Amino acid sequence: MAKKKLKMQDNDDDGGAEEEEPDFSDPEDYVDDVTDEELLGDLLRQKPKETDGVESVIIVDGVPSVGPERLDKLTNVVRKIFKEFGAILNEYYPINKDGETKGYIFLEFKDRAAAEEAVRQKNNYKLDKQHTFLCNLFTDFDKYEHIPEQFVAPTPEPYKDLGNMSYYLLDENCFDQFSIIFDGGTTTAIYLNSVPEAVEVAKRERWTETYVRWSPRGTYLATFHGKGIALWGGEEFRQVQKFSHPGVQFIDFSPCEKYIVTFSPHVDQRSEEPQSIIIWDTRSGQKKRSFNAERPPLWPVFKWSNDDKYFARIGEDMLSVYETPSFGLLDKKSIKVMGIKDFSWSPTDNILAYWIAEEKDVPAKVSLISVPSREEVRTKNLFNVADCKMHWQKCGDYLCVKVARYAKARREKNEVKYSGIYYNFEIFHMREKGIPVDSLEIKENIQAFAWEPVSNKFGIISGELPSVCVTFFQVNKGLAPTELKKLEKRPCNNLFWSPQGQFVVLAGLRSMSGALEFIDTKDFQVMKSTEHFMATDIEWDPTGRYVASCVSWWGHKVDNAYWLWSFQGKMIKQQTVDKFCQLLWRPRPPPLLTQQDIKDIKKNMKKYSSQFEVQDKMRFSKASREIIEKRQKQMATFTEYRKSMIEKYQEDKEERLKLRSGQDTDTLTSNEKDFEEEIVEFLVKKDTTQVEE
Amino acid sequence: MKPIMLQGHERSITQIKFNREGDLLFSASKDVKPNVWYSINGERLGSYDGHSGTIWSIDVKWDSSLFLSGSADQTMRIWDVETGNCVSDLEMKTSVRGVNFSYSGTMVAYTTDKMMGHHSELNIIDVREPNNVDATPIMKTQVTPTDAKALSVLWGPLDECVITGHEDGAVIKWDMRTGKKIEVGTEHTKQIKDMQLSHDGMMLITASKDTTARLWDIATLESLKMYKTDRPVNSAAITPLVDQFPHVVMGGGQEAMDVTTTSARIGKFDARFFHLVFEEEFARVKGHFGPINSICFHPNGRGYASGGEDGYVRVHVFDDAYYQFKFDF
Repeated sequence: MAKKKLKMQDNDDDGGAEEEEPDFSDPEDYVDDVTDEELLGDLLRQKPKETDGVESVIIVDGVPSVGPERLDKLTNVVRKIFKEFGAILNEYYPINKDGETKGYIFLEFKDRAAAEEAVRQKNNYKLDKQHTFLCNLFTDFDKYEHIPEQFVAPTPEPYKDLGNMSYYLLDENCFDQFSIIFDGGTTTAIYLNSVPEAVEVAKRERWTETYVRWSPRGTYLATFHGKGIALWGGEEFRQVQKFSHPGVQFIDFSPCEKYIVTFSPHVDQRSEEPQSIIIWDTRSGQKKRSFNAERPPLWPVFKWSNDDKYFARIGEDMLSVYETPSFGLLDKKSIKVMGIKDFSWSPTDNILAYWIAEEKDVPAKVSLISVPSREEVRTKNLFNVADCKMHWQKCGDYLCVKVARYAKARREKNEVKYSGIYYNFEIFHMREKGIPVDSLEIKENIQAFAWEPVSNKFGIISGELPSVCVTFFQVNKGLAPTELKKLEKRPCNNLFWSPQGQFVVLAGLRSMSGALEFIDTKDFQVMKSTEHFMATDIEWDPTGRYVASCVSWWGHKVDNAYWLWSFQGKMIKQQTVDKFCQLLWRPRPPPLLTQQDIKDIKKNMKKYSSQFEVQDKMRFSKASREIIEKRQKQMATFTEYRKSMIEKYQEDKEERLKLRSGQDTDTLTSNEKDFEEEIVEFLVKKDTTQVEE
Repeated sequence: MKPIMLQGHERSITQIKFNREGDLLFSASKDVKPNVWYSINGERLGSYDGHSGTIWSIDVKWDSSLFLSGSADQTMRIWDVETGNCVSDLEMKTSVRGVNFSYSGTMVAYTTDKMMGHHSELNIIDVREPNNVDATPIMKTQVTPTDAKALSVLWGPLDECVITGHEDGAVIKWDMRTGKKIEVGTEHTKQIKDMQLSHDGMMLITASKDTTARLWDIATLESLKMYKTDRPVNSAAITPLVDQFPHVVMGGGQEAMDVTTTSARIGKFDARFFHLVFEEEFARVKGHFGPINSICFHPNGRGYASGGEDGYVRVHVFDDAYYQFKFDF
């Protein structure tokens, strides 16, 4: 700071009321040694410059033409839209002869950076149905006017070769991969389910912070982190992509893996853009669109059509269907459906099924509409409905709607209480003309429902825990569904079909101590009845060959392990893993073979199986040979060690004799001469026999 | 094999030991009276009355004349095996955790607990005149404040060294003459629950709460083998027939308070047999209703005994299947 000299004046002795003010001015010849720049640098920087006014101006085209009476409203709207880039220093709305704005405006921002950001973000911003902003920097016009005549090709960015992302499908033995999380969630490992031992493919500490998810076709592994999601793939599980979404909690993949949806409850207060749900393009990592979500959301909020073309979500009394790749609303407006409760897509066609709740005198309805035509393909009115749940069969052939019907409804304050609930299954035959609907009534409480993946059978678990009935039905053309088999009093609360159909596992998970039953539904023979104590999850591998039953550390703190069974219920392996948490099989994409091909292979099964048997035998013998070699080596080392020990032991014998005053106690019989023999009688057994009189 | 069940204790068993010839089995429990039984038919000879606290550890002299017990009532007593008379009663500053006769039987090594300002100690006293034992130790080592307290103690093969097992999993070998540490083995990560020697004294097996048991070489204190289980191991023993049937047996179980969360259906606490060289489990014997606290082989290698938290001691004799079992190699 500049030096200041004070010239204090002495007080007058006469006790004058006022003192003279001290003089703070510099002495006459004082030279300031601090420059203005240092002292006032920040103020000087803000000093307006004459040039550069042009660089922070943008031109926005596509602005509505309004008359003077609505000009204020327009300026307010525009200001609000652009204010997030900083202060708008100047705005100019050119007006034509009739007094209306010409449709393009000039906006000046604080600096070039703000202007560039505004252009980047708001170019193509849809103000409303008829107006889309087109933003450009003022200087851009200059640039475009002076484009060189010669075309200079831009240098291409080197292609990031990710390698063969589907390498795992080329495994010559067709072993599947699975991921396991253990050590209480800190370590994640990928294994190849090879015979006889699983082979570790990759293992990393802290690969994820909570859990992992495979993409639907198995190409990527997604891991969760505080800052967002990371995707891994390829032979070495390198990081393929990452998505920054702080506090991400849930993710969802689109069925063809083109897009990934992430949800985070954290909201950045500063930005006005909705941030809870973001949709990204998987390969490029680009943010496609973001949405708001109510908290906490019923995940997944967005449901995808099977070909990734559409995705939809429910709102209050409306169904919003969006299309890709534009990510805009289909037909620019949502479908208005009063009282819509839930919806789902068909797994094979672009058809949406939704249901509407009952409202006073209007009955509930289940409706099927085709997208994008919005044509109603089928509806069905339902009476006395308390709740509905939709289950599509995997091939899209059937839709089953489980309807909870009530016998009595009471209005209590603002809620309705239902009593006397019984269940109906409405089965829509999607492939038949007119989509006929069958109805099946079940009086008991339904615990679980599952379609067999590739056929027209389904199984339900009904009744009250712990002794429930498992019933299998077949859907018929032209008739009501017929009951195929009913199994009584089974201790189970879930059923899991093999992905290839025919086989099913009935499991009593969590609270039911892990009872497992393997059933062949061709003849409903119980192949195996067994248990995995305290099992928490069952996972079929994607080919339907193996079942993994897991005791997860997240559910149960002890005995954490996964057990592998064959599809027939034969125990293959029991693998205990420290603090094991989760096992997930890597999914496979749908096969490229046609149905005819598959039929041919099944016919020639015997030919193929003999080939494989030879291979299997060789593999087993190799494994046991390895083990045997290892054991022989171990035994050899040990015997040598023992030999040296025994030698030492013999050497020390004299010492030992001394310590025990001459008594040889090395073996139990070494001092027999010291033994005294004594005959002792003691009672061994008492026996009474009745003697006939 | 059908075991003989010995019911003679009201509380959980802390340690059982065969005498050198194997005809007597001594058992110690949290009820204050150690018992002695004929191992051949399970007939109880009698009990040793006098202690007023949990008996933590016992030992028998090689000639089966004297019986030694260390208790939580802060005393260590020497008894006459045959008559049950207490020959000597030695007061200590804190509970006695581990006791062991030397190979020659002329000395006793014992460890005391760390309590109320007193440190855990390893002491050795001369017991050549059992009636007139001089309580002042001929060698005394304070397990320093940084070391975890010593819980079990064993003499080395020629009375040249003493080995202690500690609460932090350390196994320490001390030189008898100088009182200094010669070797330390730190492979275990949690408390050592039990240590036993092979019959020739050349190998040591330790059982630890970290769910493993380890086999060590006495001379170098090198960990030779590790046997892994999924529950804390409370006791382990090496068979005397180690050159023909190289087996070790281990017993353990979840802590009493966690018992209901494991697959604890009746009698599922098992003794597990491992192959000594291949470190692989090959057999389990069920039967106890609680965790097994102490397990030991009969000196002739033809059977074993186990004592559990349920207060029962089960004495087993191996049948032919045991001798015929062979590992492929």
